[in-house]
Amino acid sequence: MENASYVFAAFAIVWAVLFGYVLLLFNRQRRLRQEINSLKEMLKEKGTEQRPAHH
Amino acid sequence: MRRNVLFWLSLVLMMAALYLVFVYVPTEKEMGIVQRIFYLMVPVGWLSLLSFLIIFIASIFYLTKREIKWDNLGYSAAEVGIVFTTLTLVVGSIWAKPVWGVWWTWEPRLTSTLVLWLIYLAYFIVRAFATEESRGATFAAVVGIIGFIDIPIVALATTLWRGMHPAPIIFKGGLAPPMLFTLLVSLTAFTVFYFLLLRQRVSLREAEVEIKRLKKLGD
Amino acid sequence: MRFWSKVLTITWKDTLSEMRTKEILSSVLVFALLVIVTFNFAFVASQEAIRLVAPGILWVTFAFAGVLSLSRAFLPEKEQGCLEGLLSCPISREVIYVGKMLSSLLFMLIIEAIALPIFAFLFNLSVLSPQLITITFLTTVGFASVGTLFSALAVNTRAREMVLPILFLPIVVPLIISAVKASGLVLSGESWGGLSSWLRIIGAFDIIFLVASYLVFAFVIEE
Repeated sequence: MENASYVFAAFAIVWAVLFGYVLLLFNRQRRLRQEINSLKEMLKEKGTEQRPAHH
Repeated sequence: MRRNVLFWLSLVLMMAALYLVFVYVPTEKEMGIVQRIFYLMVPVGWLSLLSFLIIFIASIFYLTKREIKWDNLGYSAAEVGIVFTTLTLVVGSIWAKPVWGVWWTWEPRLTSTLVLWLIYLAYFIVRAFATEESRGATFAAVVGIIGFIDIPIVALATTLWRGMHPAPIIFKGGLAPPMLFTLLVSLTAFTVFYFLLLRQRVSLREAEVEIKRLKKLGD
Repeated sequence: MRFWSKVLTITWKDTLSEMRTKEILSSVLVFALLVIVTFNFAFVASQEAIRLVAPGILWVTFAFAGVLSLSRAFLPEKEQGCLEGLLSCPISREVIYVGKMLSSLLFMLIIEAIALPIFAFLFNLSVLSPQLITITFLTTVGFASVGTLFSALAVNTRAREMVLPILFLPIVVPLIISAVKASGLVLSGESWGGLSSWLRIIGAFDIIFLVASYLVFAFVIEE
């Protein structure tokens, strides 16, 4: 391997990994937001179910 | 507003560093073009250590104050930290091949980084195998404290151990001003980017922890 | 002085129960011998070469045997619920740490004292020099210092046998490096002078981690 290729490989891998990590965090954030929304829905439903039983 | 400052600052600095490393800085005499990896190696290595320092401080605060926010910081710093430690090993290995002809060598810096990687691993394993979350956090904090204290001793022992081995990666004649400048900019760029990552991870972790707590309440 | 009397009570209790069953001593001793013998099959070499690898073999053996011994340190407490009993006594957690550390240290030293002459016999080396004994003693103190802390931690996890090595071995790397190097120097005739830097590392490790483990132990033990 040509010496310049090593330099390129090092920088490329670092960037690929860091970029991949950022993507991972981003995806997890999206999934979390979905979960929060579905939890909010669930809580709303629980609220409406319980109301009849409360009186 | 503060969110974006960090992002843009980091981007600008990275662009600047890229220019400096590939266009501005002169090629070093001994190692040639491969020496430019140095401007990558030092930042990732430094960040793997900075991360553990943050874990250390967060661990002390968590054990004494018992506030979840400290555990969140510790966990996030550990995750980002192990990423950078892995990168240090990879970059170190890539640099070793053209310079010493082998993919791996038991020289002080690489060896210490490998041990550091194992300590990061222990931090996560102890969490994973604890019987409850809160105990896991306490155990991890213990690892964070003991591990951090151990790091300089490991560095000392490995350096003494390999005293006479292939010359360490320091250049004859020291660092010329343009090289020093490039290194500093690169260091700063990566450090700012690191804090961007850390902040993202912390807020993500806080949300994850909060959701778990809410779920438990809901059941 | 009350501190030490409580500490020694714990150490004495451990020693007594071990003397009755000889569980730890026998299993770890057998393990150590097996490791030494297995290593011998790994290296079929001249006497000269053996002398070079001997320190490494010795300390790998002691490190693994140490892990095995330490993993038993809190087992009786955990399994028979004695830990709650100990905790409800009006003694500080630090007393438990020092007491347990001393008993683990004692067991490891006994095993090493038996294994060393056997090692010398099998490898044709003279290991009974004061230098080697000092190195062994100091390094074992280091093992016991963090080992006791990590053993208490590991016993409270779901995978004790795996957690203890992964905690312990990376942390004691400086001890193993220093012990191997120093032992190697002793075996090639070096006297105290050449050992000084290695002994200093081991000594510093001992002091630093005795203090650190002492301070942190309470957090590991509390429910």
